[in-house]
Amino acid sequence: MNAIDSVRDILTRNMRQSGIVIAFLAIVVLFAALNPNFLSPTNLTNIVLQYSYILILAIGMVMIIVAGQIDLSVGSVVALTGAVSAVVVIRQGMPWYVGVLAALVVGLLVGIWQGFWVAYVGIPGFIVTLAGMLLFRGLTFLVLDNKSLSPFGGTYYDIANGFLNGLLGGNGFDVFTLVIFGIAVVGFGVSQWRTRQGKIAYQQTVESMPLFVVKLVAVAAVVMWFGFQLSISRGLPIVLIILAVLIIAYTLVTQKSVFGRHVYAVGGNRHAAELSGVKVRKVNFWIFVNMGVLASVAGIVYSSRMNGAQPGAGNMFELDAIAACFIGGASTTGGVGRVGGAMIGGLIMAVMSNGMQLMGVPQSMQQVVKGLVLLLAVAFDIYNKRRASVLR
Amino acid sequence: MRGRTPLLALRQVSRYFGAVEALVDVDLEVHAHEVVALVGDNGAGKSTLAQIVAGVLSPSSGQLEIDGEPVSIPSPSAANQLGVASVFQDLAVCENLDVTANVFLGQELRGRAGLLRDGDMETETRALLEHLTIRIPSVRTPLRHLSAGQRQAVAIARTLIGQPRIVVLDEPTAALSVAQTAEVLTHIQRLRELGLGVILISHNLNDVRAVSDRIEVLRHGRNNGSFPATAAHEEILAAITGAA
Repeated sequence: MNAIDSVRDILTRNMRQSGIVIAFLAIVVLFAALNPNFLSPTNLTNIVLQYSYILILAIGMVMIIVAGQIDLSVGSVVALTGAVSAVVVIRQGMPWYVGVLAALVVGLLVGIWQGFWVAYVGIPGFIVTLAGMLLFRGLTFLVLDNKSLSPFGGTYYDIANGFLNGLLGGNGFDVFTLVIFGIAVVGFGVSQWRTRQGKIAYQQTVESMPLFVVKLVAVAAVVMWFGFQLSISRGLPIVLIILAVLIIAYTLVTQKSVFGRHVYAVGGNRHAAELSGVKVRKVNFWIFVNMGVLASVAGIVYSSRMNGAQPGAGNMFELDAIAACFIGGASTTGGVGRVGGAMIGGLIMAVMSNGMQLMGVPQSMQQVVKGLVLLLAVAFDIYNKRRASVLR
Repeated sequence: MRGRTPLLALRQVSRYFGAVEALVDVDLEVHAHEVVALVGDNGAGKSTLAQIVAGVLSPSSGQLEIDGEPVSIPSPSAANQLGVASVFQDLAVCENLDVTANVFLGQELRGRAGLLRDGDMETETRALLEHLTIRIPSVRTPLRHLSAGQRQAVAIARTLIGQPRIVVLDEPTAALSVAQTAEVLTHIQRLRELGLGVILISHNLNDVRAVSDRIEVLRHGRNNGSFPATAAHEEILAAITGAA
């Protein structure tokens, strides 16, 4: 396969995936052109900090959507877990890790509760989590006595606001950050190389060598540039480390584990999956347990970032997380979607919000634009599917 | 064929749904290297019988035997363990997954740390498809990009994972075109050549006569005659409709 063919192949074979990356880059370039501050080190750091909790939610949400369900309760769960943590740490004066643990346990219980109703009673996730949205919001008000609690301070505050900086020194930039990004780039390169070698060993088509190298160098350059921007700002955000670990872990779970395979099977054809020996109830149960725990992680990060808990925290987060999944290529009918896609979808939302804020676009207009982007993304998806089925 | 212990035997199997008698005292034997066709009108109990053998339904009374040993088949995965694999009427595949993932669904190969061994599964799938002379562009193709006939071929291929000895095919050609049907029928003959016992359920007498060794007729949930594949069309039809 020569270079031009493989470029065309990459563009057409997976229009949906590459289209979304191109759209993301286009939006970044647009805002960079409109506002010189957009790509400044401080602002890049801010984007990571501001939207990390939506991205964490989107990881769990994409698995639920792939299985053909939906979770409307995550915003309320973010509020509830943050509130429990605040009560434990601020009101009871316990150490920060007890608060973290308490939040995780509450998230786990919420997940078990919702998983039970969906998987073993057979109520659609839409209804169970709609009830959960009200239920957990109400519990948040009860836990907090209708009052906000703040401040956390100390280590808990650092979870979402702290940076690793100066561990290895550096003059005007943080060497440690660059080292971590360097390791990440090398790791990415090695894994891409091994995938490519594997494909060749199994006689699958791969893109031509020059194109492969260009792709790697482009990714490496963008990532290292981003790392450098962070390193001359405040260093490596702790939240970014949490996020990276979660993304890598869940990419493995969804693409390389039996459980992940079964999630896709249940979403694709529940009946066939059941007849093939997939334990559909177990799959449905565990995706909701998983979502509960991830929502509690997001709750911890959010309460830490806000340095306190409010009864109204996390309102509408579920919609941002769901939108991130659909913009990132998940199918409304289940069976299709990837963690990586949802992350790009979430970043598109993040970059748009941040960019429009920098330009002083009023909140009302931001909502309008975001709504249109979601609509267009799904319309594009459906258009592509129709075209594909005509081609068949 | 007679006299040997059958691979699979149903003895006086009955199944009731409330007051409805779906199957009444049905006997059926399947030997290795044999395709047994099960024919009958709508509601004759063919699919009920298939589901009992596949572990989806359990019999109300009667006995199932494999190799002459009494067995119970409480679930589809129990059926897999006993060496019974099935393909059901309504194209039971996941269209969003690729060929390999469908073939190994529910019986995935795991490596270290419980991760999927994708490479090995692909190699085996390719060998399996070749074995059955199934032609599919790539084992990485998601099933939604394949024709109905190719999908049914994948469904048949997936029955061979885990070395089954008995394959139950419930109307495997119902949704297919003429050419696709012919292809699926060759795959069924390959199954017989591989030494498996096959139960083929079909409406189409021509298909049945083309590939089966023996034709068993069900009528109102009861045995209503056993015919060699060479039997006259009218004779079998009479047994099905009860005109005889």
